Amino acid sequence: MRRFGQLAVAVLALLATGIIAAGSLWLGGYDPLVAGAAMFQGSFGSGTAILSVTMVRAVPLIVTGLAVALAFRAGVWNIGAEGQLYAGAIAAAWVGLSWGSAPGWFLTPAALAAALLAGAAWAAIPAFMKVRLGIGEVIPTILMNFVGIYLAAFVVHGPLQENRGVFPQTDPISDAARLSVLVEGTRLHAGFLIALLVGLILWAGLRWTHFGFQVRSVGASPDAARVSGMIESKRVLLVVFLSSGAIAGLAGGIEITGVTFALYEGLSPGWGYTAIAVALLAGLHPAWVVFTGLLFGGLEAGAGAMQREAGVPAAWVSAVEALVILFVLAGDQIRRRFGA
Amino acid sequence: MTEVAARLDGILRYFGHVKALDGANLEIHSGEIHGILGENGAGKTTLLSILGGIIHPDAGLLEVGGSPVRLQSARAAWKMGIGLVHQHFTLVPGLSVLENLALGRRHTGHRWTLHLKEIRKEASQLGELTGLTVPFEASIEELGVGDRQRIEILKALLRKPQLLVLDEPTAALAPAEIDQLFRLLRTLAEEGRAVVLVAHKLDEILSIADRVTVLRQGRTVMTAVRADVDTAILTDAMVGSSRSEGEAPMTPARNALPALGQSSDGLAQKRESGNRSVAKLKGIDVYSPQGGLALQDVGLEVMSGEVIGVAGVEGNGQRELALVLSGRQQVASGKLEIPEHVGFIPQDRNREGLAADFDLTENVALALHRNPQFRSGPLLRWKLIGLHAAEIRSRFKVKSSGVRALARELSGGNQQRLVVGRELSRLPELLIAENPTRGLDFTATAFVRGELKKLAHDTAAGVVLISTDLDEILEVADRVFVILRGKLTPVPSTHDSREAVGAMMLGSRLEVH
Repeated sequence: MRRFGQLAVAVLALLATGIIAAGSLWLGGYDPLVAGAAMFQGSFGSGTAILSVTMVRAVPLIVTGLAVALAFRAGVWNIGAEGQLYAGAIAAAWVGLSWGSAPGWFLTPAALAAALLAGAAWAAIPAFMKVRLGIGEVIPTILMNFVGIYLAAFVVHGPLQENRGVFPQTDPISDAARLSVLVEGTRLHAGFLIALLVGLILWAGLRWTHFGFQVRSVGASPDAARVSGMIESKRVLLVVFLSSGAIAGLAGGIEITGVTFALYEGLSPGWGYTAIAVALLAGLHPAWVVFTGLLFGGLEAGAGAMQREAGVPAAWVSAVEALVILFVLAGDQIRRRFGA
Repeated sequence: MTEVAARLDGILRYFGHVKALDGANLEIHSGEIHGILGENGAGKTTLLSILGGIIHPDAGLLEVGGSPVRLQSARAAWKMGIGLVHQHFTLVPGLSVLENLALGRRHTGHRWTLHLKEIRKEASQLGELTGLTVPFEASIEELGVGDRQRIEILKALLRKPQLLVLDEPTAALAPAEIDQLFRLLRTLAEEGRAVVLVAHKLDEILSIADRVTVLRQGRTVMTAVRADVDTAILTDAMVGSSRSEGEAPMTPARNALPALGQSSDGLAQKRESGNRSVAKLKGIDVYSPQGGLALQDVGLEVMSGEVIGVAGVEGNGQRELALVLSGRQQVASGKLEIPEHVGFIPQDRNREGLAADFDLTENVALALHRNPQFRSGPLLRWKLIGLHAAEIRSRFKVKSSGVRALARELSGGNQQRLVVGRELSRLPELLIAENPTRGLDFTATAFVRGELKKLAHDTAAGVVLISTDLDEILEVADRVFVILRGKLTPVPSTHDSREAVGAMMLGSRLEVH
């Protein structure tokens, strides 16, 4: 019943978003059918579109979506996935550049491990403020996003700027640091498997393990968790916060080692924020995050095609993504009211 | 002759798939005190909420003063002269008492501005008249449940309702305060207003009501004049003659201790039944969040096989005592010896006992997931926990659609059965129960009290029962203590009469009345 209710909310939210999106296109003087067809063509319309564009775009969305879903499940409102992603990207790029002569079996994992650590470190500041000082995490995590974004900008203008010194970006990382391509002739890289693996670990961990149950308990009822006398809530919150940051950082590391091979300004088009929509639409359920991540990956992949074919600005897709959040939140409230 | 203040006829109301009211009727006369009785989940609160405009019926007729009305909101009900005092407090924390009293009130001629002074004048006059004295400047968080209840009643009276509806107002009050409240209700009725009152204690209703209505499973089964009924008749009406309707039996479940791998008999033998100390507190001080001492030099030794009763008016340090005894709060100073795992039945089962969005199994796991039996490496053995939850569900008669039902879908009594079952199934050496029967009907109350006694006497555990209900303490406890302003005082067994303990509970504060 509950599963069905959540699924119904997600489907209805998507439907409502679709209707409003089509209406807004029509009002703006575009042909919704042409735009929709272009979007579909660009995202799921061909093997290349799916493998080289949609799935590649979905990877950072799935991984940051998982980071957000984990945090939200414990009642940690980590809005800082964007900053944590940048921290991870900086760390991965630095490892890939400075240890360029190391062999691939070492360098790729080292770059990703550095991304994990950097993401956790980025989350550590708001985590400490929450657990030790009792300061709500929403504002600190948002503010840390700006620090992360501008730190990346500083790095590519300064210490890690390419040797030519022309563009605000790093040199390409060594070949050894790059993730391998999964399907010959496409851009789909091993990062997709990593995303699936993280999703699997979170799904199984939350569902079956002792610690995962504590995480869900703290999220479902902080008071009951505390009074049960069985759960050290602060420790659980700290571990979840740092893990969430680490996973978001991993998304940045995967992007560097799998797609861009270099760090540059504006690396993320706001994945860390879109991740919130991805996680909420999935009902904070790790297995569903994979699907909603693919869906949003498709949206972003199709946005480019839509701009070319139908002249609709790609930024319009961001508004559509925001609509999804609003409808999911509203639908969830309605579902609760009717007790389904 | 008798004027009908309000009439509800054939009221039907569903919550999801659960039928809360199934054609309930209620007729309230002006100038009477109308008592409403029924077990947990019989639909009492739902019916009152419909009267108060908070819940809308799916079908049925509602008449106020002879004409049919639709109450769209609480405000609409107020305008019709119906004042509802909720079972759960609706005061705004962070605001002062006076500001809370001012909520929703508008003075004639002052549409846009707040006139606290006038409200204060009015409230203190009314307070003097009714004996409901409240500290106007205090903030809500600083006050105990008794004060909050008085504020709720005063808030309702300030709006001069013609029909005053009170949902369990006595649960949080001391005996002397209940007497005072009842005198006030009688005065209101004599002025020609109507009073509707829900209380779980049958004798309270019998002592004050003019007429009584009994609800069972969402239906009105009886409305009668007080003189025509007695305890036996009302009990029969509430429980029903046939038990096949899914009602739990009155007697505590036999052998209601599901053993974690061993029978309770075996365990009882293992624990020597002699006078073994289970917990020891010496010179315990605890600071309250507002500063000041919540507990002051508290000493207590709990022996195996006994129930210790701690009586007191809410807000005198019970909360802190319960948390300290169960190892859930740090002490400022003093010596504390308690077992590693203490069973704890917290007062607020909705918030602290259960996670509302967890199902039965998960709620059982909440307290048991550290038990090695339910773990294998980092994994939880959910199948085993599910079986254990099913056992608790059947032995403690938790009415639910199954172990996958959410806690929020259970009625209050069944939630408490789940919490009690869960805590007892751990066979704790020490169990702390904090107002464990508040808000429960007498079937569930008898059940819980029986289980507490059985745990102490049959398995040689120590039980500390902390309750504001003096009758409960006197019925269940082997030794009685009184807690007053953070100090714990033993009551000599020669002096544990209702009157003597009641006077000690109030200290000198209310003895003037």
